[in-house]
Amino acid sequence: MAHRVILESFSYQYPGQVTPALADISLAVPKGQCCALLGPTSAGKTTLLQSISGILHKHHASGFASGKIVIGDESYAPLPEEIQFPKIAYALQDPYVQISGVRETVLDEIRFTLENLGRWDSSTDDSILSLLRHLGIDHLAERKPTTLSGGETQRVALATILIAEPDVLLLDEPLTALDYVAQDRLSDLFKGIKERSTILFTDTHMEFALAVADVIVVLEKGRMVFSGDRKGLLDHIDSFESILPSHQWKELIRTVKVSQGPEATEAILKAMETI
Amino acid sequence: MRLDLKSKLASVFFLWVCAFTLDWPVNATLILLAILLRYVVPGFRPTSQRAARSIVAFMSYSTLIVLIVVSLNAVLLPGGDVLLIVGGIGFHESGALFGLRTACRLVLLSLSVLLFFASTPIREFIRFLQGTGFPPQLGLVLLLTLHFLEQLPDRINQIFAAQEARGSPVRANVVSRARAFVSILFPLVLSSISESIDRGQALELRGFLGQGQMPVFENRRSDTSLLTMSLILLSIALIILRILNWLIA
Repeated sequence: MAHRVILESFSYQYPGQVTPALADISLAVPKGQCCALLGPTSAGKTTLLQSISGILHKHHASGFASGKIVIGDESYAPLPEEIQFPKIAYALQDPYVQISGVRETVLDEIRFTLENLGRWDSSTDDSILSLLRHLGIDHLAERKPTTLSGGETQRVALATILIAEPDVLLLDEPLTALDYVAQDRLSDLFKGIKERSTILFTDTHMEFALAVADVIVVLEKGRMVFSGDRKGLLDHIDSFESILPSHQWKELIRTVKVSQGPEATEAILKAMETI
Repeated sequence: MRLDLKSKLASVFFLWVCAFTLDWPVNATLILLAILLRYVVPGFRPTSQRAARSIVAFMSYSTLIVLIVVSLNAVLLPGGDVLLIVGGIGFHESGALFGLRTACRLVLLSLSVLLFFASTPIREFIRFLQGTGFPPQLGLVLLLTLHFLEQLPDRINQIFAAQEARGSPVRANVVSRARAFVSILFPLVLSSISESIDRGQALELRGFLGQGQMPVFENRRSDTSLLTMSLILLSIALIILRILNWLIA
């Protein structure tokens, strides 16, 4: 079941660094909603996902953290100290490293996750195949995972964690290597799994976020410069000119706002959902 | 006969014992037999074309190494008859024999290991280790290392192709190939280490070292335990004979 994710005045500073990677971040993602973390590189997006997943403390235990992270009914002060899988699943930015490389087929690679959780039996293969069909990669089931293209690897990487049916799904730049068709599929997938999982994903561009996200957070140099919904972001779009490079959409939105008034932004949002 | 991993490991152990305890004519015969194994025993057939190519490459390089080791020893270690004189340099019998002994030993040792790994899929090997109680953490480290080695030739080819696309003659001849290889070695190793760390992290994030552990695969019934036992007993007998030989001499 999807869980809410709340950060209260959360800050984190890596060991040996003089400036915090994240400073005073407060955000709330209601259960079953999708949150986009936007911002340029080094804004702190990945650190934020790692903090929630539990891997940040595990690998940088001497880092300084303050504030509080709440996942569902559990509160972690300041952050989870152990990896929270399968409650929270986290897909790394590079899909190639998500593939273990020790299994001969895509089907077997996904089984590996269930085996680690002690959940695998022959009947679970049907759920794996159903998930692969949902992701449009069922034809790859018997292929060797290390021979796939970038987009295919991205989707297999996603399948390796989605099969665990996490309550919270953290995706670091899931659009890397995806073409427009695959992005549409991912958008449909997000809509399909929102009841099961709360989703937080990072991106450097805003088109996808505007199409799928319920909550949008913009980070810059570790600080939160915006938190709100899509309409709110569009209303303040001019403030983020330098950090959200999406010139075509900005142009379109600006033109529509000038020519047809601010209420036209609603129409744009609706149009984007149908694209 | 289909060999299981235990028998294959026992064969490698037997060849190692032979390499250290027997003289060069037997070792040379064993080298030829080991090469023959690759063709006639299904358990020693290479798992991929790349593995098969590596055995062929090994054989050609080892021929060269045997020639160099024997020649150098024959020239540098005087003693016994002079077998031939080339350009005023004499090749001595005892040096040549010492060279043959050393070279055959080296080739037999490395060939046995190569045959084992070329004919054993990584997964099969880890399955075997886990069956013997190998901890999953060490299994992970081994998997990552072997995966890195498996991917290395492809990575080198990719980097070379990228360099060629920029007009750099990295594969023009042996010298340019060697120079290019040296220049990419450091970043290649660093990036591979970094990737291994990330891959390990991704595996952790999939519950690898959490409440579960990498599953122990089913045990397969072995029908070659007699062969395994025979090879181990034969190896022990060879070691004892060798020790007795030293004591009597």
